[in-house]
Amino acid sequence: MYQRDEVLPNYLEADQLAAETSRPVPRARLGRRAVVGLWALRVLVVILSAMVVYVFVSQLGP
Amino acid sequence: MTPPPGQESALALPAPGLRHEDEDRSADRSRVHRARQGRRRWLLLWLLVGPGILAMLGENDGPSMISYATTGATYGLGTFLPFTVLTFAMAIVCQEMVMRIGAVTHRGYGQLVLERFGRVWGWFNAGDLVLTNLVTLVAEFVAIRVGLAYFHMSAGLAAALGIVLVVCTISGGRYWRWERIVLGLAAFNGLFLLAALLSHPRWSAVGHAFITASPLPHGSLNMLLLLVASTVGATVTPWMIFFQQSASADKGLTPDDLSHGRWDTIVGGALAALFGCGAMIAGAVLATHGGASIQGLAGAGFPAALARSSGGTVATLFALGLIESGAVAILTISASTGYAAAECIGAPHSMNYSARSAVVFYGVNVGAAAIAAAIILIPGAPLLSIALNANVLATVLLPVALVFVIMLVNDRQLMGSFVNGRRHNVVAVLIAAFVGLSGAAYAIDAFLRTAHVI
Repeated sequence: MYQRDEVLPNYLEADQLAAETSRPVPRARLGRRAVVGLWALRVLVVILSAMVVYVFVSQLGP
Repeated sequence: MTPPPGQESALALPAPGLRHEDEDRSADRSRVHRARQGRRRWLLLWLLVGPGILAMLGENDGPSMISYATTGATYGLGTFLPFTVLTFAMAIVCQEMVMRIGAVTHRGYGQLVLERFGRVWGWFNAGDLVLTNLVTLVAEFVAIRVGLAYFHMSAGLAAALGIVLVVCTISGGRYWRWERIVLGLAAFNGLFLLAALLSHPRWSAVGHAFITASPLPHGSLNMLLLLVASTVGATVTPWMIFFQQSASADKGLTPDDLSHGRWDTIVGGALAALFGCGAMIAGAVLATHGGASIQGLAGAGFPAALARSSGGTVATLFALGLIESGAVAILTISASTGYAAAECIGAPHSMNYSARSAVVFYGVNVGAAAIAAAIILIPGAPLLSIALNANVLATVLLPVALVFVIMLVNDRQLMGSFVNGRRHNVVAVLIAAFVGLSGAAYAIDAFLRTAHVI
């Protein structure tokens, strides 16, 4: 953090300052259902992405 | 976390311990404050627009415009014209939410997911973004290359142009300067509308398509699913979510600015829909000419095909439009990659920093563009396939990002009274489900066909 000699006016909100936004927000508590849902979606997306990549690679063939 | 609207907390109070980033942002906010106090509405709007228009016009990128024109050339004017407008309405709903999260929390999407839901989800999201951004950036360089090839210029020039643009625009060390330069470039996305007007379309057919959403598309199911998935992927993508939230925070938006942020997003979406429809209408001229000549994309197929059917002026405008759309998207997508990477490792991530103070942010910004530029210089690289698959991959990966957006925007601890209403949530969930189904339908159908199962 560097300081200037003169005092500058601040037009930022208190929680907008870089020192404040670099402080982490508290961790959310996810329920079991939410965690299972997120993992199911993640696995599905990985499988679908693999399918798209497979199709893409197949299109490269002669 | 933030005061209620109308109560700006720390206006014009002396603040001895500001970082350089704060000083620059505070200087920008002082102009917003003066415009608001002087009730200068148009100046206030001018000062506060930016992230929404850039996200929307940035997504009217090379592969998107090629996708719209391909749809027009394949199916003519019909269902896809109003469908494109519908997808932009969906994009406005999604982007308004991320703008709101950025303005209320003053944090980027990558940082917020990482801090709120843990490193695993934060890195998964960042990984998805980097993957889709790299593929999309390659496609943007392909678009510039296609545009330049029409003027008989080389791939090397396309690569150099993209890199020089990225380096020049970020070298100012100010978010405001970067935003205004990219906004100026993005205005040239209107070239696609001009190309459509000069291609003399049958306006009765355009009106009929908008009013009746017909004729319905014909042809193979797989091609139809590909065009639906790529049209969705041409309007709502993971990088837009990262970009608009981070840019809103970097610009210094606050809850007082939400209505202007909404107008920024709506105007951006409306312009992007207008210009996207322009590309589709210009491409539709080729539908009556068989559309066959567009296949030579790597050899500047589209502009050359348009030159034969609509004349040299339309082709030149289309080629220039491709160069512009690729260039703007390179700037915004590489910026979103820089924001995401720096936010995830907790490094400084603001355009208000100098290059020396934010090495990771600027390094990833330039590095992502440089890797994509290098790929288009590889002899025999499958550029056409990359360009066509970039939007589909984005569509497949988007639902996860949308789910986290919906979770964040409903988080009362973060958003306070700015959480979504029930109706807003129903629309957001329907959009996420539609995007997920579009991507899944194409991926499964294409995979089963390629594996000769069906």
